[in-house]
Amino acid sequence: MVFFAFETLKFASGCCLVAFSFRSSIIIGTSEGFKLIGFCHFCLHGFYGPQSDLFAQVIEECNSHILHLGSLIRKSEELKKTEELRKTNNQELDETEKKELRAYSSGALVHHFSLLRNKRCLMAYVYHRAEIIRNLVWTIGRVLPEEIEEKISSAEKDYFKKHAATLQSYMSELDDLDLAVDMVPPKDPYIKVRVLEDIGNVVLSDHSANLARHAIVFLRRTDAELYIAQGSMEEITS
Amino acid sequence: MANYYDIDDILAEEEMVPAIFQESAYGVGLLESSDDTNMVEAGSKAELPFWLSCDLHGRGVISIDLPPWFRRDSRTRKEIGADAAHVDLRSRCQYFYELGLKIAPLVGDKTIGPFLLVAFQTRYKEVLVKAHTATPAVAPKYLTLLTNEEAKLYEVGQSSTAAFKKWRMGGPRLQKASILGRKRKPIK
Repeated sequence: MVFFAFETLKFASGCCLVAFSFRSSIIIGTSEGFKLIGFCHFCLHGFYGPQSDLFAQVIEECNSHILHLGSLIRKSEELKKTEELRKTNNQELDETEKKELRAYSSGALVHHFSLLRNKRCLMAYVYHRAEIIRNLVWTIGRVLPEEIEEKISSAEKDYFKKHAATLQSYMSELDDLDLAVDMVPPKDPYIKVRVLEDIGNVVLSDHSANLARHAIVFLRRTDAELYIAQGSMEEITS
Repeated sequence: MANYYDIDDILAEEEMVPAIFQESAYGVGLLESSDDTNMVEAGSKAELPFWLSCDLHGRGVISIDLPPWFRRDSRTRKEIGADAAHVDLRSRCQYFYELGLKIAPLVGDKTIGPFLLVAFQTRYKEVLVKAHTATPAVAPKYLTLLTNEEAKLYEVGQSSTAAFKKWRMGGPRLQKASILGRKRKPIK
């Protein structure tokens, strides 16, 4: 259902908003950023790879907006100069020239607002990805699973590492208090878990254990939590 | 002002609003027009996204009109007056309430606020009832009527019902551990 919603979004932006660059004009309402937001909306539900193509397209569109904006402003400034020149001779711009001046500035406004809009879309996109990455640190720990790692850019990987390191140093300041564990006080410090993947020999806080697939073991809750969050174990309640 | 990074707010502002150009504008073109003049004449009509029309309206470049579903004697208004809970708002505007809130001060129509309030109140009641009782087989059909905001409320309602059921089923297991728990009636 989520995917469906995203598809309609993409369709909506694709069919009615087309850039006519060959005509050297921008269709009103064109915003590639909107597509990106469509993607971003989707990202929130299932983590998705960076849409660098779309991202580049938005930047490109911004560049063309800037070009248009520049030329429009130049033209209106020329008109304003004529206006001042006329003023010194006690003359005014005639009606058509006044109209032209207004038309230049309203065209420039359209490009200006399109730029602001694209900026907002880009910022929101990056911001939401960063938010997801920050949450990853809290839920799955310091090591990224492969399926997520291939979907994020190198800058985002760097951000993940730094955020994890910051969290780690904060927790070590608090006498190694692990803030990422479950907030509900446990009934029992030990829980029964089933191992779903071959983890191998690991050193846990109280002993070392061989965690082979399908094994059912008692572990300290704090040791097991991370593995459960990562999906390599499941809790057994009976 | 909503959060700058709020995706729902961004999407809500993408909704199209009918507008008429009061001034001509150079350097832009309308998608429907076939001429190559590279300008928009004053007086031409266009559907613009809200984010653009809001600011252009503020500067007097365009004048905006209400989308059909907010107009005074529109069918949507009559339908909502008759039976708000079963009106298909999703196909009209996914961000019905958000857009209404944003557009009302711009056009100065004082009836939009009360209209939205009545629509939301009656629909919210129905959303809540459906969220707590509807079986999964019925739900998808009902969801196609709701705006995004309402669909979110519906999902929250459903997840709270699910959480309650989980808590109720898990209840006896936890209670057995304590001695007091046995005296209580087991909940089925």
